[in-house]
Amino acid sequence: MTTQIEFSGVNKHYGAYHALKDINLSIDQGSFVALVGPSGCGKSTLLRSLAGLEKITGGDISIAGEVVTKLPPRKRDVAMVFQSYALYPHMTVEENLTYSLRVHGVAKAERKKAAAEVATTTGLTGLLHRYPRELSGGQRQRVAMSRAIIRNPKAFLFDEPLSNLDAALRVHMRKEIRALHDRLGATSVYVTHDQIEAMTMADHVVVLRAGAIEQQGHPLDLYDKPANKFVAGFIGSPAMNFLPATVIEGGAVTIDLGAGPIGLSIPVAAPVGARILLGIRPEHLTLTAPGEGRFDAPVAFTESTGSTTFVTTATTPEMMVVETGRRMVASGDRVGLAFADTSVHVFDAETERRL
Amino acid sequence: MRRLYSSLVDGRGFDLCLIGVPLVFLLLLSGVPLAYNVVMSFQAVDMFSLGSFVRPWVGFDNYRQLIAQPEFWPIMGHTATFLIASIAGQFLIGFALALFFWVNFPGASWLRGLFLVSWVMPGLVVGAVWNWLLSGDFGVFNFVLHQLHIISGNVFWRSDPAFALWSVVIANIWLGTSFNMIMLSVGLSSIPADLYEAAELDGAGALFRFWTITLPMMRSTIGALISLGLIFTLQQFDLFAAITAGGPNNASNVAQYWAWDLSFKQYDFAKGAAISVIMIAVVMVASVYYVRSTRHEVRG
Repeated sequence: MTTQIEFSGVNKHYGAYHALKDINLSIDQGSFVALVGPSGCGKSTLLRSLAGLEKITGGDISIAGEVVTKLPPRKRDVAMVFQSYALYPHMTVEENLTYSLRVHGVAKAERKKAAAEVATTTGLTGLLHRYPRELSGGQRQRVAMSRAIIRNPKAFLFDEPLSNLDAALRVHMRKEIRALHDRLGATSVYVTHDQIEAMTMADHVVVLRAGAIEQQGHPLDLYDKPANKFVAGFIGSPAMNFLPATVIEGGAVTIDLGAGPIGLSIPVAAPVGARILLGIRPEHLTLTAPGEGRFDAPVAFTESTGSTTFVTTATTPEMMVVETGRRMVASGDRVGLAFADTSVHVFDAETERRL
Repeated sequence: MRRLYSSLVDGRGFDLCLIGVPLVFLLLLSGVPLAYNVVMSFQAVDMFSLGSFVRPWVGFDNYRQLIAQPEFWPIMGHTATFLIASIAGQFLIGFALALFFWVNFPGASWLRGLFLVSWVMPGLVVGAVWNWLLSGDFGVFNFVLHQLHIISGNVFWRSDPAFALWSVVIANIWLGTSFNMIMLSVGLSSIPADLYEAAELDGAGALFRFWTITLPMMRSTIGALISLGLIFTLQQFDLFAAITAGGPNNASNVAQYWAWDLSFKQYDFAKGAAISVIMIAVVMVASVYYVRSTRHEVRG
């Protein structure tokens, strides 16, 4: 696979604020990459730097083998779908779609033809002569995407394009964007704060925090082998449970959940006396009768969606258990918690890195 | 008491009160004089009948006589020149300044605020200042033009019939530019920045963006501003009074000054009223356009 986009040693400073810290990232041609992280992590800044809307203060960006660091946005040949869609309100859908063609001096008849073609693939036929204010949120979203598609650019950039849609439409558009990406064979960079979007849509997920890449890789690799506590807590929903523990003799640890130390035999590659964090995903914990699990805990409350039951324990820190189906446990009940050794992630309590 | 309170809270009585006060005010102080003025333009009015409302009805006689006066068409022409030149000058310079301050360099908003000083100055003061600037023998304006080798002799701006109207135009452009600039700045800042980013990514250069994004998005602002400009310019009286007094020989006389001159210098109230009615018609057209363009705001 050839590399379509490459960030090498990219830095961005806003005055004293270091927004992007030495970003190295290469994106294969035809891949769908998600940049994900909490707000303020620099994911949008990274995307806007790629588009040329932000000037980077160090490093280089190249697109399709060409260094574009100093090129203005209009010379980079990338298309962007904005969170607000940024449709031209005074132009019809057709004029919105063909704006870039008009810039490049394409004849009117050809522009109309191109708009009609794209409209068929994105389901906008019949809306071409409407104004953006006459469209629903989902339709506007489609116009924004069509405007990008019509140009056949070197890369598609998405800046949280689904955050203005309601939940049901979001799930639908997720599939649609991915299907479109596959059909066009395009290279896409997708910014989102929603890890589920990143996990479901992308081939490659880049997790950012405070302007630096925490981990990148295949979505399931991030889920199975998070490199540190942050990624472990960020990927997966509901979030992973973290239990502070201390290593004792003979491959065992003690945890304290507020009711005295509990001994657990879990093989841990750490010296005796080391302070660690045990990470267990809620979906990897199962409820048992008291005394039949690895340890017992009182129940604080339960929430059920009908198909899934979320049980929260009255411990410090509290733990979340996800059970498929309905579990009749009430607040105050004692339950046993069981889990497999292989589903335990071990992190250094100090550095928060995976051990 | 409860009912009064609830009518205040639910807004049924209170909204009528709120709308009633300005309505009565408008009716009493604008509506009645306006109607009175229109009626007066169809009557024979002299100093003796000024006090009574019942006066001989003469139909369109006042208008006919007015149009027959030799100075009528020249004055209408001056009014048109004054309107077009003032609005064009104020708008173009105002737009250029608004675009300049839009760049947002350090101190831009502070400096832009300072520009408003010219707009808050009374017209008579502005007139007095420009009298000095435009003065034929020792004026700064002449001095600068002379130093730039644009003119060789002194130009007597205020007393030369070829320049008298233009001297008021120059002063009026100076007076109105900052208002245009502020209005256009507001219009510019209401255009979402991401539209420009989208256009930039679509490949549009600065000039193309201006033509296809800025100008169309500013359409309602520009429409409103030009109609307001028309109204303000037709109201401009102080500068004429201060700079040329309509002279020499009506060379800088315009409708609004002439109306005052007819009514309060020559005591021909009927003809003064007739001129005002003609101006009302023009302003009405501008007002309709103003209301329409503010209603047709394009917002995504």
